[in-house]
Amino acid sequence: MSKKRRDYKLTFYSRIEDFVNGKEEFLLYRPTGTTEAKKLETLEEELTEAADLLEKREARQKVQDNTEPLDFLKRFHRLYGIIAVLVCATMMGMLMITVSWLPKFGEPGNPANNEVIARYIEKGQEETGAVNVVTGLILNYRGFDTMGETHVLFIAASCVMILLLIAEGEEKKSSYAFDRYLEPKNDIIIQKVAAFLVPVVFVFGIYVILNGHLSPGGGFSGGAILGAGLIMYVSAFGFKKTQRFMNEHVYKIAKVSALCFYVCCLSYYFYMGAHGYDNHIPLGTPGNIISSGLILFINIFVGTEVACTMYAFYALFRKGGL
Amino acid sequence: MEWVRFCTAAICLISAAFMESIAVYGVYKFRFCMNRMHAAAIGDTMGLALGALGLIILKGFSWFSLKMLIVVIFLWMTSSVSSHVIMRMEYSIDEDSVKEETGGK
Repeated sequence: MSKKRRDYKLTFYSRIEDFVNGKEEFLLYRPTGTTEAKKLETLEEELTEAADLLEKREARQKVQDNTEPLDFLKRFHRLYGIIAVLVCATMMGMLMITVSWLPKFGEPGNPANNEVIARYIEKGQEETGAVNVVTGLILNYRGFDTMGETHVLFIAASCVMILLLIAEGEEKKSSYAFDRYLEPKNDIIIQKVAAFLVPVVFVFGIYVILNGHLSPGGGFSGGAILGAGLIMYVSAFGFKKTQRFMNEHVYKIAKVSALCFYVCCLSYYFYMGAHGYDNHIPLGTPGNIISSGLILFINIFVGTEVACTMYAFYALFRKGGL
Repeated sequence: MEWVRFCTAAICLISAAFMESIAVYGVYKFRFCMNRMHAAAIGDTMGLALGALGLIILKGFSWFSLKMLIVVIFLWMTSSVSSHVIMRMEYSIDEDSVKEETGGK
C-alpha cells in the first residue's frame, strides 16, 4: 500500500492541501465509475508499477554494494543487546543495594521523623483550619512552593503559545479549515455520550476543587478533571460551540486574574507571618465547606489555572489557537 | 457461606487478571490497528467488570460497591466511545489499508 501513495498528488493529504488552498473541491471519497476516476486509476497503476521497478533495482544494487556493512550491523545489534542487558542489571543491582541500606519504613528513630512533621500533624488542623492535612500543608505552610508550581504552569502555557499560536491572517483561516478534516465530524455517538458525561465531569471537578480542604483532592486534581471535561466537549462539538464560553478573551482573563489573586492571598500570608501579626481571617469550624480561611480560595484559583492550561495545550496543539 | 463468597470473588478476580493479560498480549501481538483496538477493549470492558464484580462480592453491598458499579458504568461508556473514535480516525487517515485488511469493504 505504501507504494501507491508515493505519488503525493494522489494522497489524501494533498487533496486536503489543495482544498485548503482553494484549488479544488474537497472529496473525502474518490468518485468511482466516472471516466475521470478510471483515468485516475490507470494513471495510478502505471505509476505504482514504475515505482515498483525503480525500488527493486535500487534494492538489488544496495544488496550488492553493502554486504559487509550489513554483517557489521548484525554483530553490532547482538552486542548492543548484550550490553543493554548488562547495563540494566548493574543499575538494578546498585539501586537494590541502596534500598537495602535505607532505614526501615515507619520506625520512630528515622531521620524523617523530626519536629516539622510533628508540628504539621499535631497543630495542622488548628492552625490552618483544613481537615485534609496535606492541603493545609501545601497551600499554607508550603504555599511558596505551590506558587512556584502554578507559575511553572503559566510559563509552560506561555511558551507553547509563543511556539504554536497562529497570528491573524491567511494562515489562521487555513488552520481553521484544516481543523475538522481529520477529526470525526459531528459524530453522533460521541455527541450523545458527551452530552451525558460532560456535565457529570464538570460537577465532579468542581466538587473536588471545593472539597479540597475536607477530603482528598484540591486545586490541581480538580483542575485536571475540569480540563479533561473541556477537552471532551471540544472533541465532541467542535471549537465553534466551545468558543461561546471558552475563547481567547475568557482564557486570558481567567488565567491572569487567577494567578494575580493567588499571589495576593499568599502575599497576605507572608506579610502577616514575617511581621509576627495574627491572622485576621476567621478559620471557621473545621469540616464545613466555608472554613479554613484562604485555602478554599487558593484552591479555586489553582483549579482555574490548571484547567485553563490543560485546555490551552490541547487547543494549541490541535489548531494553533484557542 | 464465607467460603462460597471468597471462592466466587477469587474466581472473578483471577479471570479479570487473565482478561487483562490477554489484552496486553494482543496489543503487542497484532500489527493492524483495529485488531489491537479490539484487544485493548477486552481489557477495558470484560477485565474491568470482572475485577469490580469480584471486589463487590468481597466487600458486600454498600456505598463502596455502588461507587465501584458507577466506575464500571462510566468506563464502559467512555471505553467503547474512544474505541469508536480511534476507528474513525484510522479510517479517515489510512482508508486504503483498512480496506485491504477488511477485504475491500
